[in-house]
Amino acid sequence: MTAVQQAPAAGTPATPPPGAPPATRSPARLRRAPAAPPKGLRRALPRTVAGRVRAFTALIVVVLVALLAVVWVAVANARHGVRVIGHDAGPQVVATGDLYFQLTDMDAQLANALLVGGTGSGRDAALARFDEDRRKAGDALLKASKLADESTENQTARQLLEALGKYERLAGQALLLDQRSGHAPGPPGDEVLRLYREATTLMKLDLQPKAYNLTLDNGTLVRHTYEEQRSAVLTGRTWTIVTGAVLLVALAGLQLFLAVRFRRLLNPALALATLGTLVLLVAATTMLSGQAGHLRTAKQDGFDSLLALSRTRAISNSANADETRFLLDPGRADAYEQVYLSKSQTVLYLQAHNLADYNQKIQGDLEFRPGRPVPFLGFLGTEAERSSRPDQVEALRKVLGEYRRFQAGDRRLRDLVNGGRRSQAVAARSGTAEDFTRYDQALQSLIGIHQAAFDRAVDDGDGGTSGWYAVVPVAGVVLALLVLAGVRPRLAEYRFSK
Amino acid sequence: MRGRVPRAALAAAAILAAGACGIADAGERSVVGRHELVIGVNADQPGLASRTASGGYEGFDIDVAKTVARYLKVPAGKVRFKKVTSDTRKDMLQSGAVDLVVASYSITPERKVDVTFAGPYYVAHQDILVRPSEVVRSVHDLKGKRLCRVKGSVSFPRVHDEKGVAAEPADATGYDDCAARLGAGALDAVSTDDLILAGLSARAARDGRALKIVNAPFSDEPYGVGLRKGDVKGCEAVNRAITSMYQGGTARRLLGRWFGGTGLNITTTVPQFEGCD
Repeated sequence: MTAVQQAPAAGTPATPPPGAPPATRSPARLRRAPAAPPKGLRRALPRTVAGRVRAFTALIVVVLVALLAVVWVAVANARHGVRVIGHDAGPQVVATGDLYFQLTDMDAQLANALLVGGTGSGRDAALARFDEDRRKAGDALLKASKLADESTENQTARQLLEALGKYERLAGQALLLDQRSGHAPGPPGDEVLRLYREATTLMKLDLQPKAYNLTLDNGTLVRHTYEEQRSAVLTGRTWTIVTGAVLLVALAGLQLFLAVRFRRLLNPALALATLGTLVLLVAATTMLSGQAGHLRTAKQDGFDSLLALSRTRAISNSANADETRFLLDPGRADAYEQVYLSKSQTVLYLQAHNLADYNQKIQGDLEFRPGRPVPFLGFLGTEAERSSRPDQVEALRKVLGEYRRFQAGDRRLRDLVNGGRRSQAVAARSGTAEDFTRYDQALQSLIGIHQAAFDRAVDDGDGGTSGWYAVVPVAGVVLALLVLAGVRPRLAEYRFSK
Repeated sequence: MRGRVPRAALAAAAILAAGACGIADAGERSVVGRHELVIGVNADQPGLASRTASGGYEGFDIDVAKTVARYLKVPAGKVRFKKVTSDTRKDMLQSGAVDLVVASYSITPERKVDVTFAGPYYVAHQDILVRPSEVVRSVHDLKGKRLCRVKGSVSFPRVHDEKGVAAEPADATGYDDCAARLGAGALDAVSTDDLILAGLSARAARDGRALKIVNAPFSDEPYGVGLRKGDVKGCEAVNRAITSMYQGGTARRLLGRWFGGTGLNITTTVPQFEGCD
């Protein structure tokens, strides 16, 4: 460029030759000042001071609106999460978990009624409980099918209803036949036994698995909501901090700009707006962190434990019924002993060769401490792993103690049967039934503790966001007014000075 | 000029708002959304999973694996089978050499520590295979009988040590060998998972020798689909695949195809799942 000296062609907005004397004001030079096109972002900047103040103000208002929108969306996510987990699907899934319990209990009561025989009060009590279980099972099934959101789940619910009808028919036949034969306590007649086997096989292979799987499926709905909403709340928190920081920088920038341009020390209204933004930012961030925490407590400490313990209770109950069946049906005693062991190991797993071995090992050391590896697995092992609060730990220790006592009673009963003293074993059954009731009560109080933690977290979640739909618009109006109040006199001053 | 500033800021705000709504947990390697799958299977269990003359695989496990892959929307041409054994399957799953394991893999609380299990897709039981003339009604009748013992298998110790039945050990190299010796009269009984016994019995029947399954189950073996630990999403999808496999009648058809006519009592209703977490 420098080497080639060209006469400026007419109309060409070329830069003047560098060597040209500064005194000569060529037409090209004159055109240059207004035409020098501001590049990039600078193009967007207004060039008058008033324009800049207005632009700055507009920017602040826009960022403020963005901040409020982000907080609003995060609050909405948090509230949605708490609603689904705490009030909607969560409690309903826990209720459908009880379906499994009701079904196993129906079968257990049927076994009791047939084992007791005759028309004794024990039989009446068993049948009354059977009817109550049936009614509750119907309710739980209705809830479960309402929650079903996939075609496979709907189909499972429908098949469950069909199988339940079939089970009731078989149970009714067995009971009627048993009543007519009027048998003494102990194993019933062959035909009754055949019907009972058919019913209990249907329960074990068809009804129970489907009920269990249905609750698992429903549970995934809660898990998905939890993961999505919690992640949305945490993302909302991040964006709150980002937009809040941008707003603070913009407010500080305006303050500085005004201080330099108008030679003022501090603009009180703007300073107040800055302070208000800071307070809003800290409050919103704290609230969102709290919400994420409440969601986690409700899900992990409440919902997960409630669901797992409701399964523990159902499987324990079903194992207890297998003990009855072991007595009731000597022909299948081996199989019933086997499933008793496998259910016991689902509840509390210890490596064991057979039931006698398990019964013995369970009397060993079951001590656990929060934060240390738990020496056993299974549902109670998982529970021990996630128990940290002292009341949970204490209640779980009580459960373990009662479980151990129940297993010891079971051993004595089986030893009687193996020693050929079956009638004594049938008499001893009421003792182990009481042990089981105590264990079940201990489980229920542990469930109560988790229920309380769940309710508390849900209440906190509801309370933590309750005012925010009002806070957000009010804070927006106040901050916007403060900014305008800070800028208006300066703009007016500028107008007058002009 | 004045209008431009808010518009630029609005655009920035829009980007911020969009970012706030959609951030999913990243870095998760699930079997869901794959275009191809490598599935670990056994190669030496007739009826469940064995090599064909052409070098492929066939059996109930293989068909279950294919059904699951189809449900996960992986085309049949993109499914590869890889041989695993009880020693290698956990490591191969963890190292990513296989994505899924469908290989008569019993779910146990100990295994659940390292592996996420979907299913079970079938609950097998340890049972007994004898010659039709033999009178064996339950595991206790094996007392004094020559029972096949395969090195590395837990089936013999389960009868002898756990059930306390004093059976005489008769060593063999594998369950194929057991069935051959049983047919030849070199031993009296074979005891292992009923589906394996059914496969052996079906093969023996094709060779013109009849063997009888006692139908006296004395253990539960929940066969699960092994997934990499923590793939809850994949586990839920596989569970739905198994549910629909039973609902649509596919499971009944497959069980009938591989184990029908063997005298084994087959369960054709969906098993109780373990749960994914």
